[in-house]
Amino acid sequence: MKKLRILLADDHTVMRSGLRALLERQSNLEVVGEADNGRDAVSLSSSLFPDVVVMDVAMPLLNGIEATKSILKQSPSTNIVMLSMHSDESYVMRSLNAGARGYLLKDSAASELLSALNAVSNGKSFFSSAVRRLLAEDYIRVLRQKGIVDSYDLLTAREREILQLLAEGKTNKEVASDLNISPYTVETHRAHILEKLGLHTPAELILYAVRKGIIH
Amino acid sequence: MDLSSHPDPQSFSAPAPRAASRVGPRAAMIFGFCALLILMAILAFDSVHALNELESSSAAVRQDYLNRERTLREIRFSLYESGNLLREYSLARPDASSRESYLKQLHDLRDHANSALDSCLRSLPRDQNSAFQKLGDELSSYWLLADRIFIVDPTEKNNVPLRNLALTQRASVLSLTGEVSDLNELDFRQAEAQISRVFSQTRHRIRLVALSAFSLGLLLAASTILYLSRLERHAREKFEETVRSQHELKELSKRLVDAQEQERRAISRELHDQVGQSLTALLIDLQNLSDTPQPASAISSALQRVKLLAEECVNEVRNMALLLRPSMLDDLGLIAALEWQGREVSKRTGLVVDVIDSEFADDLPEDHRTCIYRVVQEALHNCVKYAHARRVRILVQEQDHRLLLSIEDDGIGFDPRRQRGMGFLGMQERVTRLGGSLLVDSLPGRGTHLRVELPLTASPLPQGVLS
Repeated sequence: MKKLRILLADDHTVMRSGLRALLERQSNLEVVGEADNGRDAVSLSSSLFPDVVVMDVAMPLLNGIEATKSILKQSPSTNIVMLSMHSDESYVMRSLNAGARGYLLKDSAASELLSALNAVSNGKSFFSSAVRRLLAEDYIRVLRQKGIVDSYDLLTAREREILQLLAEGKTNKEVASDLNISPYTVETHRAHILEKLGLHTPAELILYAVRKGIIH
Repeated sequence: MDLSSHPDPQSFSAPAPRAASRVGPRAAMIFGFCALLILMAILAFDSVHALNELESSSAAVRQDYLNRERTLREIRFSLYESGNLLREYSLARPDASSRESYLKQLHDLRDHANSALDSCLRSLPRDQNSAFQKLGDELSSYWLLADRIFIVDPTEKNNVPLRNLALTQRASVLSLTGEVSDLNELDFRQAEAQISRVFSQTRHRIRLVALSAFSLGLLLAASTILYLSRLERHAREKFEETVRSQHELKELSKRLVDAQEQERRAISRELHDQVGQSLTALLIDLQNLSDTPQPASAISSALQRVKLLAEECVNEVRNMALLLRPSMLDDLGLIAALEWQGREVSKRTGLVVDVIDSEFADDLPEDHRTCIYRVVQEALHNCVKYAHARRVRILVQEQDHRLLLSIEDDGIGFDPRRQRGMGFLGMQERVTRLGGSLLVDSLPGRGTHLRVELPLTASPLPQGVLS
């Protein structure tokens, strides 16, 4: 079986060596490189073509979010797992907007990194459990404070099903084959979902699903 | 203290007296005083002039009257004397030489009367001398008759009727002088009446001018007092404001020093009590683990404890770091940091915070980011602590090289001219240092609207300088 090639990008040497130690114990993984700033992460991924980049958000020269954008511009198929101290939605939202598939808290990196790598390498999203919990709590609090009706109730059963599949990272075509319908129908459903929920981008859709606890 | 260069009535800045209202009353008062002085001068000059005129015309009228009366008296005297002379002549039966002397005396009388009449006629205007002219005509025919009597011998028989004729003529002349005298008196009375009429007119005019001068003076005095009292009030307010702002400045610097010290104390305590303790406990556990060989289960539970302690440390450090300066401000930019702050406040207090950004590139210089972040932090603090707001709307936008921040709440509001906390002064200080301005628009019961404007061009010029 082909090994998963991983690039570690973090400006803290201790953190990097900890992660490397963790990963090297896995037989199906291989750490192909390390970068201690955003710019190096970009140049290394353009020469090494890793399958997954584990990217610290706060790094000198170029921060993780900008680095993610650059890497995905060069090779859109790279999966990027964001590594962060912060469970706040600003970070999560901006990471998703930049194109990251996973968002991992450094606290829980030891226990969750392997699941995250597994999920993103299979084309799925991944969020630390603490992040999911916080986002869901925030969502409920905001709804209650603003006295807004939960727009999720507006969705039909089919739309909820499609929302979950899309949020898990599947493409229109994949969803269509899963549900045995045409990709055009999926596209129509997708448009309806975005409109009903007041969302605009795929990142917002994923964040919404995390908040609602639809994906794990 | 003038906190803003904006002419906004609700801002902290005292409403500066507008140029128009400052020049207006002064010009009006100068004009008014000049007018008053001119009016008084006119009054004095007019009065003196009118009185002089009246005095001289009244004297002239009296002089005329007396002149005419004297002339009439002279004429009467001459007539009586000539009558006596006539009677004496008719009784004396004079010879030729005495007749000559009588004739000479008569001529003397005649010349005397004529010269008096002539001088009177000369002094009179042409339209008033008809009575005197007539008198003169009658008089000269009398003198002719009298002349004839003295030429003719008194014994001659035709002398008697001639004498009678002369006496009759004399009587009519005398009665004419009486009439002329009456006329003269009438003239005098008329002139007197005219003078008194002019006098009353003058009095009326003087009264009118005096009255208007008095009213104008009254008006000027009132407006001067009003103006002065307003100036005085302005000066007092300014002074009080200066004293207050000096006091506030002193208070602010004291608070800043205090706050810094307090913050250091808090950080130190936090480091020592929390992080230090956790790390120490961690060290002890690790020491125990490395010192003594233990069964696997004991090792695993000890490691679990070590992990928990380490996580605690991480949380402590992260919270402290965020409190000191949110990493979003550097990692993700201003809007993200503001959103985070809004969420944190919202979580802690239930305040609903909306952060809206429009046409905003979020590529601000470090100082501007920090300034806006701290201002919002303080404003949210105020919203929760004082305003009891339920909802806050924060709007950030960029316009014509200016950064505009607007923070609007639905709290209880306050009077920005009376109440100003140290927090406001701190915000003001931050904004001023970047050459911006800060406005507070609030009324009790109407919420608060705080607006900040920061110039984004290279060198900031101080605008709302602390006075």
